[in-house]
Amino acid sequence: MIKVHNLTGGYTHSPIIQGLDLEIRRGEFFALLGPNGSGKTTLFKLITGQLQKKSGNILLDGKEISTYSKLAKAKKVAVLSQEASVSFDYTVEEIVSLGRYPHQKGILKNLSKEDRKIIEEVMDITKVSAFRKKQFRMISGGEKQRVLLAKALAQEPELLLLDEPTNHLDIKHTFQLLDLLKERQQTMGLTVFAILHDLNVASLYADRFALLHEGSLLEVGDVEMLRKVEQLQKVYQVQVNAQSHPTVPKPQLLMTPNYAKAGEFLNFEGSFEINQDNHSIHIEFKKALRTISNCVLGDGIQWLKHFSHVYEAESRVSFDSKAKLQKWLENNLIPYEQAAGMIVEGNLEEIIILEEIGATQMMVIVTVGTANGDILIDPQSDQPKHTINIMLFIDAHFTDGALVNGSMLATEGKVKALQEHGAKEFPSSNDTLLLGLTQQGEKISTADSQSDIGNAISQLVYRAVQKVLKKQNRQLH
Amino acid sequence: MRNLSIRRFLNNNIGWLYILSGGLLLCTSLLALFVSSVQVPVPTILHIILGNTLNSGWLENVPKNEVMIIWNIRLPRVLLAFCVGASLSLAGAAFQGLLRNPLADPYTIGVSSGASLGAVIVIFFQITIIGLGSFTLPVVAIISGLLTLLVVFGLVRLSSRSLAVETIVLAGIIVSSFIGALVSLIISLGDKDAMTQIMYWLYGSVGMRGWEYVQLIIPFMIIGAFILFYHYRELNALALGEEAADHIGVDVKKGKRFVLVGASLLTGASVAVSGSIGFVGLVIPHLVRLVIGPNHRHVLPLSLLTGGTFLILADLLARTLISPNELPIGVVTALIGAPVFAFLLIRERLGKRE
Repeated sequence: MIKVHNLTGGYTHSPIIQGLDLEIRRGEFFALLGPNGSGKTTLFKLITGQLQKKSGNILLDGKEISTYSKLAKAKKVAVLSQEASVSFDYTVEEIVSLGRYPHQKGILKNLSKEDRKIIEEVMDITKVSAFRKKQFRMISGGEKQRVLLAKALAQEPELLLLDEPTNHLDIKHTFQLLDLLKERQQTMGLTVFAILHDLNVASLYADRFALLHEGSLLEVGDVEMLRKVEQLQKVYQVQVNAQSHPTVPKPQLLMTPNYAKAGEFLNFEGSFEINQDNHSIHIEFKKALRTISNCVLGDGIQWLKHFSHVYEAESRVSFDSKAKLQKWLENNLIPYEQAAGMIVEGNLEEIIILEEIGATQMMVIVTVGTANGDILIDPQSDQPKHTINIMLFIDAHFTDGALVNGSMLATEGKVKALQEHGAKEFPSSNDTLLLGLTQQGEKISTADSQSDIGNAISQLVYRAVQKVLKKQNRQLH
Repeated sequence: MRNLSIRRFLNNNIGWLYILSGGLLLCTSLLALFVSSVQVPVPTILHIILGNTLNSGWLENVPKNEVMIIWNIRLPRVLLAFCVGASLSLAGAAFQGLLRNPLADPYTIGVSSGASLGAVIVIFFQITIIGLGSFTLPVVAIISGLLTLLVVFGLVRLSSRSLAVETIVLAGIIVSSFIGALVSLIISLGDKDAMTQIMYWLYGSVGMRGWEYVQLIIPFMIIGAFILFYHYRELNALALGEEAADHIGVDVKKGKRFVLVGASLLTGASVAVSGSIGFVGLVIPHLVRLVIGPNHRHVLPLSLLTGGTFLILADLLARTLISPNELPIGVVTALIGAPVFAFLLIRERLGKRE
């Protein structure tokens, strides 16, 4: 659709764009990324013809773009930029009609039937028909942008150029607008070339990307390009982490502000409070911990402050334990959005161990409950079946990978203790595990069984589970 | 089919507006022909006009002096008033659209000052160009108006390549004030006689000009109006801003140049035949926009009709209010125009609040 070859150009003497090559294929959604001043808008204006190039070629459908007449170009290429101001009180419909300008024929240049049909069509698609008689100046920013999009679509373009079209829009209107464009791209084969500021929004909508840095392209590629964190950090000079979108297989970027890097250092022992009574154990940390867990509440990888084991004498855990837990937390004035918790059936035994292993402080809380409401006796080993709930808090800084390592090692420790206890099968699908990290100190990226910290996790959990099982046995017999 | 399109035209309300303003124009014209120190009955007026244009008069024994008064004095005066009012408000509508500024008027970009300077020079130095005779003044005025436009263009081109609106307005103001100073200089150098003559010319008048002046302005008016009507879509597109207009395929530079030339022709010719008459070009397009919205397809022709009507009316008042003396027409336009404008502004705001 558009081929840029060895393009140089920009304002006055020192051209920003220097020898740039780029190809935009027909029917794709192409996003041009880059920080302010990297030359995005300049490149854009060179393509629209508002700036004169110094050298190189820009081919539109194989023909040098500057050889197109203005009308011929407007039939192929439409532009949607940041919110435009319109002088005088034109109505929405009149603004949209302006999009037919390049198609109007004859001396009188009135709107033909065909023109009116297309105007109706694009107003329907963009959902602006409802306020067609309203004055453009009186409608909201999101509506304005839809009207201008309708105007651009009325040109029936093959290529749509977008210059930060969602700049002033809230997320609702941003997604509305881009959804509309995406649909147009997918159903009508519209080619979209967009400057987008928001990397995460770009990641969700664009097919291919180009990263512009100081006038030249660092990379052109598909969405996986956004996982190259070092490159992005170099260009934007912000600490970036790439994560996966929870439901769409695309990366999302998380930025770390400078102030957050050097937080206040808290002494582990003084950083939490334990409230324990006959109904629950609740630990509250002063600062949120990085957690990984499969608890009823607060599962996955999160940042949490409150950790609860709630005892339930009779097991009614079955179906809606999450709602029950939320209710309990609410009653106890604990914000459940920041809490991880589990319901312990039968309250058999609990143990809390706080230890310093090596230079690292750790605390583990283990509670044992009945499985499925009854104290089932394992027929093979003559031992009761349990659900074992473990919460392990570590004063260290783990990467996500280390978190997974840690949870594996904790499980190993638990299994070892159970084996020694005589259990042959471990059918307790209700077991829960939570690791909470203070994320203080040096970053640890591996916590396998070879490392001190890995060993320590496994050991501590092993001892805790062992102890709790012994305690429980004493009670039973 | 034809009937259908006419009916749709009328159903559209806008059709009625055209008919209304056309009718208003005719009535005002007749009124202006009728009211004066010597009152000629309306049928006689119609007879004289039709007799002189189509040779189809039906009355006999019409006194010769009545024919003289209507045909040689009043009709050209009314027509000239119409032409000047129409030209000025059409130019005003175009300038406002082009400069995207509701405060722009034909005097903003300096063409009228240029024309005035030409006229003042002619009066002051008593110049008569051989072959032009009494037309020296309007011809020189039109030429100096167009020269001023060239100066403004040159200034804009030198300071910005893109013919930016802000630069046009600035250059216009700079040139206008410079020329205004020159005019004042000439006035202050002249004797009392010349001064009075110049001042009167500057106030503006459409009286005692005769058919020659009507003939002088009409070609400019037709060409200017044609150029502007032809570019109504470009004027609409410019409301989006120049970049956006460019994106929908408008050749902005070319369009702007045409509109400037067309509007300047109208302004220059008007100033040349009648002196500088203010307020018409500012108020009438506003009034029209308030009624039918900003679409130049209708704003331009309706401004033309309404502006013409307005100036005929203003002229009528100018010559009857303190008859047998005459008020300067520019005074009347401002005296009527300003309160009407103020009223409309207030009413519009009140309307929006409801």
